[in-house]
Amino acid sequence: MRVLVRLAAAIACGLAGCGGDGTRVVEETGSTTTWAWSLPAFFPTPRIPESNPMAVEKVELGRHLFYDRRLSGNGTQACGSCHQQTKAFTDGLVVSIGSTGEAHPRNAQSLANVAYNPTLTWANPALVSLEKQMEVPLFGTDPVEMGVNDSNSAEVLGRIAADPAYRLRFALLWPDQTQPVTWGNVIHAIAAFQRSILSGNSRYDRYLTGQETLTLAETRGMNLFFGETAECFHCHSSFNFNDQIVHAASRAVETPFHNTGLYNIGGTGAFPEPNRGVFELTQVATDMGRFRAPSLRNVAVTAPYMHDGSIATLEDVVAFYAAGGRNITDGPLAGDGRANPLKNDLINQISLSAGDQADLVAFLRTLTDTSLLTNPAWADPFTANTGP
Amino acid sequence: MNVSSDSGRTPAVSARPANLQRRSRRLRAGSGALLATLFVAACGGGSDDPVAQTPEPPPAAAPQTVAIEFAAKAGNVAVDCNTPLGGLGTAGTPATLSDLRFYVSEAVLVTDQNAEVPITLTASDWQNDQVTLIDLEDGTGFCATAGTPGTNDAIRGTVPTGNYTSLKFTLGVPSSHNHTDYAVATSPMDIQAMAWSWQAGRKFAKIEVNPEGGVARPSPAAASTTFYVHLGATGCTGNPATGETVACTNPNRMPFHAPAFDPARQRVVVDLAALFAGANLTTDGGGAPGCMSGTADPECPAVFDALKLDLATGLPAGSGQTLFKVESK
Repeated sequence: MRVLVRLAAAIACGLAGCGGDGTRVVEETGSTTTWAWSLPAFFPTPRIPESNPMAVEKVELGRHLFYDRRLSGNGTQACGSCHQQTKAFTDGLVVSIGSTGEAHPRNAQSLANVAYNPTLTWANPALVSLEKQMEVPLFGTDPVEMGVNDSNSAEVLGRIAADPAYRLRFALLWPDQTQPVTWGNVIHAIAAFQRSILSGNSRYDRYLTGQETLTLAETRGMNLFFGETAECFHCHSSFNFNDQIVHAASRAVETPFHNTGLYNIGGTGAFPEPNRGVFELTQVATDMGRFRAPSLRNVAVTAPYMHDGSIATLEDVVAFYAAGGRNITDGPLAGDGRANPLKNDLINQISLSAGDQADLVAFLRTLTDTSLLTNPAWADPFTANTGP
Repeated sequence: MNVSSDSGRTPAVSARPANLQRRSRRLRAGSGALLATLFVAACGGGSDDPVAQTPEPPPAAAPQTVAIEFAAKAGNVAVDCNTPLGGLGTAGTPATLSDLRFYVSEAVLVTDQNAEVPITLTASDWQNDQVTLIDLEDGTGFCATAGTPGTNDAIRGTVPTGNYTSLKFTLGVPSSHNHTDYAVATSPMDIQAMAWSWQAGRKFAKIEVNPEGGVARPSPAAASTTFYVHLGATGCTGNPATGETVACTNPNRMPFHAPAFDPARQRVVVDLAALFAGANLTTDGGGAPGCMSGTADPECPAVFDALKLDLATGLPAGSGQTLFKVESK
């Protein structure tokens, strides 16, 4: 047990050394180390499931598992393959490719501040915890992502359990379990790591706290963003620049989804299968094309955009919203999204000059938090030859 | 039909304290007998106390074992993983079986005095206290891609000694078990293939056939190999304030009642010919290939009609289902 405690202390020290500003003193309770949030002043405390409390050692175990390719059926892919730190935990692809080569219908989403998401993925009111959501990439078959199934599940867990360093980490966290390398514990550890990924140190954040000034173009863009001209803030409000937020003190949580006029196939309002938004879950006609507004934090490094990656650049996204939708003139997806009958009422043509649009883009680029992209606390431990 | 409710029955796995779930899982790998003891002790009393050891009082009459057996047929022809099925559906399409598994719950025998007696399920890898997984494919031949080697063809349990003349059960998983995390659930809720992760629940039924020539789909989609029938609760919504999945708009649980049933001499047959009778297996009009319980899926009305479930609401739509029938063993 002395060895385990030393390991815990080493991990805790390592994190404190890497965590940057705001890391607070942590206290040890038993064999694990109590988690202390290191939050910007305007961030609320995240809601943590009672069944999966945070601990320094759990977050660190989760970091290793998140980046471990052995966790996929064929050993070729980790969570971090499609959620890359340098791209704010996205992958730069139009749509992600699973471990067996299957294309996902959706564009990989950022994990920054995912602890505050009351619903997960692009459009799924049924997935309300990271623990539950994780079953989709791990075990899903349509499409295959990590490719764990009934045939290889024991083998995949066995790869983890065979690693002595992992055995120590699991034993420290779940000392009352004789075989703690279970999917439940794997999922809990990865979820804890994901909740630790916080981003609130962009130039814009430092501007808010008086540590930085914005350029004239950025300031004009900010005023457009938060003003009644561009009205971006209606859906990209809150400290996280979105409109679905849950935190420890939340009482009622609203979970709006929006049709932004990206498609209007044949003028019927339809979006292409299997990307019809909340409709895929509810089959309610008015849910056609409704997706969750993503956070705009770090948006400059998460191209391409939209649920299906169908808009390549930030400039094109701003132009799309300025037009109040997308008019596709030919091909099987033809239809004028600007006239989509199910489109959110707030998405209208906006009179934005080329200069206005450039200013908006300049402001959006101030939302990049370079510490998110480089903080070793969230980095791939295997590239540093540290082993698990 | 009056299907017995869950009220007053044992607490759900999901409601059990996490430490107990962990303990059960650990013990499962060790001693099956010990697990069975723990399971009864933990679940039998309806107590939330994980260390409660008080067993239920013994029934007045000595229990008798009972097995409700299942078999698969297409019409009158036995279905297995190695024999091509005859023509199915409106186009009489030759097909092969790919997968055939389903959950049943609320199994009740009815006495000649018209008293409904719940079958006390015998704990095993195929059953917990409320749910039985029936698995009629063995992973061989045509089922090698989707299936698994293990099979289970019966609900096994005990009832007090009596004269039973009728059978009721529900095709589906009670809500209390439906939304547990598959990765940490105990058997038989721990099967990945039966998890329906995007709906945060389970597939109640996974019945899949591969029609000859595939299933043509609307352009530009390629033909699908498989015509899928996935029955499960849909329109599920989580409570974002608590992080728990709480409700589904369409329960899609199918009640079954065999008014005359003798478990010693008769069994329940799953009739694939009847299930697909109104469906054209060669062509998919959109949505999921086949029917995955989508209310707007063009293949679902025919399938749900065979189940006598109202597709729009997911509620039972009267008698006359054709999926299950009773025959002599």
